[in-house]
Amino acid sequence: MVPPILINLLSGLSVRLLVFFLLVLLVFFLPRLLPGDPVAIFLSSDLSRDLSGSEAVELRSQFGLAGGWLQQLGEYLSNLIVGDLGYSVPHAAPVSQLLKTAIPWTLLLIACAAPLFLIAGAAGGIEAGKAPGALFDRVATGTVTVIASIPPFTAAVLLLLAFGILWPVLPAGGAEPLFPSDNPLQRDFDVARHAVLPVLALSLHEVSRFYFLARGEAITLSQRPFIINACGRGIKGWRLRAAYYGRSLFPVFLARMSDSLTGLFGAVLFVEIVFSYPGTGHLIYNAILDRDYVLLQGAVIVMAGLVLLLNWIIDAVATSLARRG
Amino acid sequence: MQWQQVWRGEGELMLGYWSPITQSAGFVSKGALAASVILMMAGFTLSESLPAYKTSPDVLHPPSAEYWLGTNGIGQDVFIGLVRAAPVTIFLALVTATAALVLALAASSLAAFGGPAVRGAVLRVVDVLQVIPSILLLLLLAAWIQPGFLGLVVLLALTGWHEDVRVALPILLRELTRENVHFARRMGASRTYCLRHHILPAIWPAIVGLFLQNVRQAALKSAGFGFLGLTDPRLLTWGSMMQDAMEHLYTDAWAWLLLPPAGALSLFLIGILIIGEGYSQSGGLTGKEQYDPG
Repeated sequence: MVPPILINLLSGLSVRLLVFFLLVLLVFFLPRLLPGDPVAIFLSSDLSRDLSGSEAVELRSQFGLAGGWLQQLGEYLSNLIVGDLGYSVPHAAPVSQLLKTAIPWTLLLIACAAPLFLIAGAAGGIEAGKAPGALFDRVATGTVTVIASIPPFTAAVLLLLAFGILWPVLPAGGAEPLFPSDNPLQRDFDVARHAVLPVLALSLHEVSRFYFLARGEAITLSQRPFIINACGRGIKGWRLRAAYYGRSLFPVFLARMSDSLTGLFGAVLFVEIVFSYPGTGHLIYNAILDRDYVLLQGAVIVMAGLVLLLNWIIDAVATSLARRG
Repeated sequence: MQWQQVWRGEGELMLGYWSPITQSAGFVSKGALAASVILMMAGFTLSESLPAYKTSPDVLHPPSAEYWLGTNGIGQDVFIGLVRAAPVTIFLALVTATAALVLALAASSLAAFGGPAVRGAVLRVVDVLQVIPSILLLLLLAAWIQPGFLGLVVLLALTGWHEDVRVALPILLRELTRENVHFARRMGASRTYCLRHHILPAIWPAIVGLFLQNVRQAALKSAGFGFLGLTDPRLLTWGSMMQDAMEHLYTDAWAWLLLPPAGALSLFLIGILIIGEGYSQSGGLTGKEQYDPG
């Protein structure tokens, strides 16, 4: 028999492939439909005011804007399939290479922040939901409500201000010192130090989402017979929280993860911009400021693909778990 | 379908945390909404009668009797900016939330009345929109067109409506199949009569809940675009004021440039959260909705 997770994987794949294809089409057509083509905008920038006619034509073909739309689309898609995302003139490097160096930094932030906000959210939410209205619940829910109302960029700026500028115990920007150490241990330590504030800012933004989810679930779970029974049998402490509440929360958390993945990638963009962290968010932002549309398009396509891929896997796992009950 | 599910998003499932404060006497439906409309009107009138938000030689002036909240890098009075940006920021959130809700209700009605094929199509579109990383799409579009007020409303509404369909459609379907509606139809009531007297009153609390949630989302997103400097530079919002402050983080000026707009924005967001929570606990739940196990 085919394992259910495989069926879930396959059924989720088609809609995501469709979405990805639509996005690629959108990214292709948008610049061509909106007023002012990239070459005209590029030529009007300070970077290249005195370009000759023949150079402009060459540039046009370099931007993939030569020939009819169908021909351009065909070329665009065939380039995309072989992983050629174009060439970024301001960075003087292929887009794929720029993304290759940026994506690991973004994933590092997300990978470090995810366990933090998931565990903190679950632990806090279970504790508060076990006894709604008690002192812990009142204090924690009040605090989290305030945190939830601070936009991600505000939280990031305040953290930067507090620990990077006013009380400079942690680096205020970048992912590494200007001159990275040759010693791999020292280098890892530096990278970790630089990641602390961005990871904290990202977790702070996401923790409220999972806290409220866990609290609401815990309130409902507290009334379920198996929990009442467990409490009656004298099970308490760590075991009650992890094995009884925590395990039941798992599928709900996973389902929410797949829903909120887009939000997480959105938040990481802001965090990277505030901390000048050299991930994709920072890259995308600079591409916008530089009007580097080739890079912007490439980054959007790759990031969208990444989000869809992660969301596809998490969704399939969550569906299987939910079906198990 | 529990009503609380409507009030999801970040402030979801708070299950009565703020209700002692907000539950008293239909806090939202009467008081808070009226107050916010009056405040906004007052804000518009006030901001029009204020001195212009103009540049002056007093650059980066700390707060004083003359400039209550100091001045920014080009000598504009931060207090005047804050008051002028308030109605724009809030109005932007309200209009966007309304537009998204109208789109969602239209799609839900289409799905509810259109039969299984249409419903399937609408739900597939919602599925597709759900997995699109909308922030990337928005960045791409915003970079291109530098949206002003109307542009932001259109962009945010078009990428935000689908979340409401998932909530609105089951509620609408449930109300359509209720006995009172069937009975009224048998008695010869027209569709519009049923809609006005049976269905709308029953789904109204959910609509208000969705609206409040949309307001929060729209405020957060539009502030984010303002902060990134992707909106029309002439559109003064709290988010764009925060962006101005970013250049001055390393001087003392952050205190009067960053904190006022950040504080105002957070206060607005927390206010909406508390109002929504109070509403879901009191006003929205007084009807039969509350006890519906379905």
